[in-house]
Amino acid sequence: MTTTEVDPRQAATPAGARRRRRGRGATRAHPALLLFPLPALAIYVVFFAIPTVQAVQYAVTDWDGFSATFSNVGADNFRRIFTADDLFANALLNNVKFMLVVVVFQTAFALLLAVLLVKNSRGSILLRALFFFPTILSSVSVAFIWKFIYDPNFGLGNRVLDGVGLDVQLAYLGEASTAIYWVALTQVWFHAGQMMVIFVAGLQAVPAELYEAAELDGAGRWAQFRHITWPMIAPATAIVVAYTTIQSFKAFDLILGLGGNPPKFSLDILSTRIYTSFANSEFGYAAAESLVFMAVIAAIVVAQRRVLRLTQKDV
Amino acid sequence: MQNRQINRRNLLQLLGLTGLAATAACAGPGSTGGGQGGGAAEPIPSGPIEGEISFAHWRAEDQQVFEQLIAAFVAQHSGVSITQDIAPSNDYQSTALQRVRGGAVGDVFTAFRGAQFVDMVKAGIFSDLTGLPVVDRYSAALIEPGASDGKQYGLPYQLVFNMPVSNLDALEAAGVSEPPADWDGFLAMCEALRGAGFVPIAWPGGEPGNAGHLFNSMVMNNAPSPDMCTKLETGEYSCTDDWFLKTLDQYAQLRPYVQPNATGTAVEPAQQLFASGQAALLATGSFHIAAVRALGAQFPVGLLSPITTSAGEARYEGIHNATFILGVNTASDVRPAALAFIEFLSDPVNAAVYANGTGQHLTVSGVAYDNPDLAATAGWLERRTLLAPRFQFTDLDIRNAVENACTQVIGGTDPRQAAEDAQRVVDQRIG
Amino acid sequence: MRFSPIRSVVLAVYALLVVVPLVVVVFGSFKTTPELFESPFGLPSSLSLRNYEIVLGEQNLDQAFFNSVVVTAASVALTLFVASLAAYGIARTPGWKGWLIFGFLVLGMSVPAQANMIPQYVLFDVLGLLDSRLGLVAINVVVGLPVAVFILGGFMKTIPREAYEASAIDGAGPFRTYWSVIMPMSLPSVAATAIFLFVIQWNDLLYPLLFIRSPELKTLPLALLEFQGEFLTDYPLLFTGVVIASLPIVVAYVLLQRYFVAGMTSGAVKG
Repeated sequence: MTTTEVDPRQAATPAGARRRRRGRGATRAHPALLLFPLPALAIYVVFFAIPTVQAVQYAVTDWDGFSATFSNVGADNFRRIFTADDLFANALLNNVKFMLVVVVFQTAFALLLAVLLVKNSRGSILLRALFFFPTILSSVSVAFIWKFIYDPNFGLGNRVLDGVGLDVQLAYLGEASTAIYWVALTQVWFHAGQMMVIFVAGLQAVPAELYEAAELDGAGRWAQFRHITWPMIAPATAIVVAYTTIQSFKAFDLILGLGGNPPKFSLDILSTRIYTSFANSEFGYAAAESLVFMAVIAAIVVAQRRVLRLTQKDV
Repeated sequence: MQNRQINRRNLLQLLGLTGLAATAACAGPGSTGGGQGGGAAEPIPSGPIEGEISFAHWRAEDQQVFEQLIAAFVAQHSGVSITQDIAPSNDYQSTALQRVRGGAVGDVFTAFRGAQFVDMVKAGIFSDLTGLPVVDRYSAALIEPGASDGKQYGLPYQLVFNMPVSNLDALEAAGVSEPPADWDGFLAMCEALRGAGFVPIAWPGGEPGNAGHLFNSMVMNNAPSPDMCTKLETGEYSCTDDWFLKTLDQYAQLRPYVQPNATGTAVEPAQQLFASGQAALLATGSFHIAAVRALGAQFPVGLLSPITTSAGEARYEGIHNATFILGVNTASDVRPAALAFIEFLSDPVNAAVYANGTGQHLTVSGVAYDNPDLAATAGWLERRTLLAPRFQFTDLDIRNAVENACTQVIGGTDPRQAAEDAQRVVDQRIG
Repeated sequence: MRFSPIRSVVLAVYALLVVVPLVVVVFGSFKTTPELFESPFGLPSSLSLRNYEIVLGEQNLDQAFFNSVVVTAASVALTLFVASLAAYGIARTPGWKGWLIFGFLVLGMSVPAQANMIPQYVLFDVLGLLDSRLGLVAINVVVGLPVAVFILGGFMKTIPREAYEASAIDGAGPFRTYWSVIMPMSLPSVAATAIFLFVIQWNDLLYPLLFIRSPELKTLPLALLEFQGEFLTDYPLLFTGVVIASLPIVVAYVLLQRYFVAGMTSGAVKG
């Protein structure tokens, strides 16, 4: 049995080109190449980056969002965020718990479904469309549905528990310590089908010959998955994990739908915290919170990439 | 060659960026037109009633009725056209100020009572209406939420009662002939209801916004002064004060009388519980009567507030709130027409069309309520009700924390613990 | 994957988990409000098309539908074009420069919408783009760029250098290579990105709510807000609207499926 170690970039790049790449800059790159990102950069800078800078420059002020005057407060907002804001700390903790559950389960389900439905048969296409459907719904609809699933008195959740003979009636969103996990479940239901699309695209790019060769060598299905599929879908996995993470940090509408506005303590996350700061006429503080928010996401995404790389190196 | 090309490109980019950075101050204070500071000093000019009016509000459910009224107004004043600019209430609260201050939207606009009204007055968006004849159409006591510093800036149009809605048939079935006048009576009533097979109180503890309506009634007679929430926000009062602890103890006594796992119940299931006749009280307010009717409830309804003291000491019998504060935009260029439209809405005849069509009471004097639910509860307009204290809070986090103490207590937390937890958040927000 | 009983069981269980909550919406579109609240998961008592008649008869709904289609189609197409150009440039710009551009563009995904929404409003006001479909397309492209660059960039980086070199040897310039070689190879990821963008932009409420005033320019989600009041929401009508609004996406999804054709990259790497 051969262990197939595949890194497509390494395999396909002759040593010479690699050496040249590490040499003096993009000597082989066509000058026109630098024009390619230009339209995107132009639009992005004018309509996105500049407005963002305009907003976050107030992070060192106490501007309320509409008055004609404000004053500079230096790093005061940041000091407050890190040492004197229990609500922010609570939101961060909730968000991290939420993100961990969502990332693990959403990625796992999306991958599982993609693997089971990778062939383009009619049945697979129909099922893929079905699993994708929840993503299309509006958050108001999703919140309504799950309010009725999680309702302790009429809800489907407790009725199912009753139906299978379990004598426990849960409070779901009413139980402060576990409420966020139930919302995480809703989020996974909402978006797993969307991430499945990325995995399908990634899986479809794996050449069939690799599986055929492995099969001839006698590799079983799990070995094939570990040594061929998992490394080859690395880009897709990276995308799904990063996107799911960011999506779970921005799960704003769903939290408001299930947790109220402003959300209750057990369901408050960072994006709703920022929203409430804006609503409390604390524009400067909200801008500071936004910067911390962006930094937290960036840090987590980078850490995740490291972890994922490790699992792929091992193979 | 290549490197020089890159450098030139970088330089151009840099120049472009600095040029654009010059506009970086653009989103700052005073950039969006109307920043006229506190000086809404220019009175509304008299002039021809014509032009295109934008009416900004958040009540999608009232759109048809407003269209009717608009048609009538336009019939009286040719040369005027009115479009409704409706945003959902959450979005209205967060974006209305920015959208309205420039004048593009909201020649006639509305504001929520509390923080939004205060902010909009500060931003100088409300025209001063003090002394204008239209103000006299309103019951003076009820339009206080639209006044600031002695000036009448806006007219709060809608009047609601944030008190539990009662199923009169259920009360009758349990042998309750008149509303209890004190706390023991209230508990006895709940006991009787439970005995008769009802859930005494359907309370939407899962949603802070809706769970907090009951808070109004629970503190109105316990607090040393009617502006107790303002004082909680400034630190003059504390959640660990005796009167608040007493309130929390009373919440604890309600535990057996709300539906099971009440802290997990959202407002729609709570409405269903009430509308289907399983619960005798819906602990929200008169604004849900229309929703409950839409769910098919056919029994007669009333309003019933728990009295948390003895009959003799009760200063207030219930809670009211005045909101949907109408105003004329200082940045509007059709202010005479805008004012005329507000005058039109303030006419009791037109107001009645609105009230009966949307199932709400109004602050306008002399409105005839034909809608049976409105007529049945109209008596409350004359009774001693307190303007809902929970909307005295301008900081949403403080409000959430204080009300959350009550929710936690119903969920089983010890009152003193809940009070301390709440006060910790309040202290952080104040300090 | 071979056809196996385990596979069927897993799929059946998951299908059940997905479908049961969905029936609330789909069945709900045939119910009245009392019926919906009383038995959200139950079958409707009759397949009454009353709600559909009301929603479809709503004034301006067909106009809203048209606006949504036009704005979304234009936004998705433009975003894909601009983002794929950028992703291509980044994939071919080795070293820290490529990473810098990529990081800069992708960082936009982590910015909360409320942070820059007011300055964007002011900017669009100054440029006269408020209350216009063009403005909506512009903001959609802007907001969609980080995601699109992220996904397309992620996939394009894995295209082996050989593909570019082969094309260069044939004398093709970068644009030719991009258009005739790389894009066809990237079709699965382009299709995936297209679906992503389609869903995000079709259902978007934030920007239409902020920018659009005129009733004839409203997009579909905005038009459906009519059913959502402050204290009284007509859920059956809302769900009917949601079902109607979801049909184009389902159609687009099924049509885009055929671009997920296996083996497009394998051909380029032979030998």
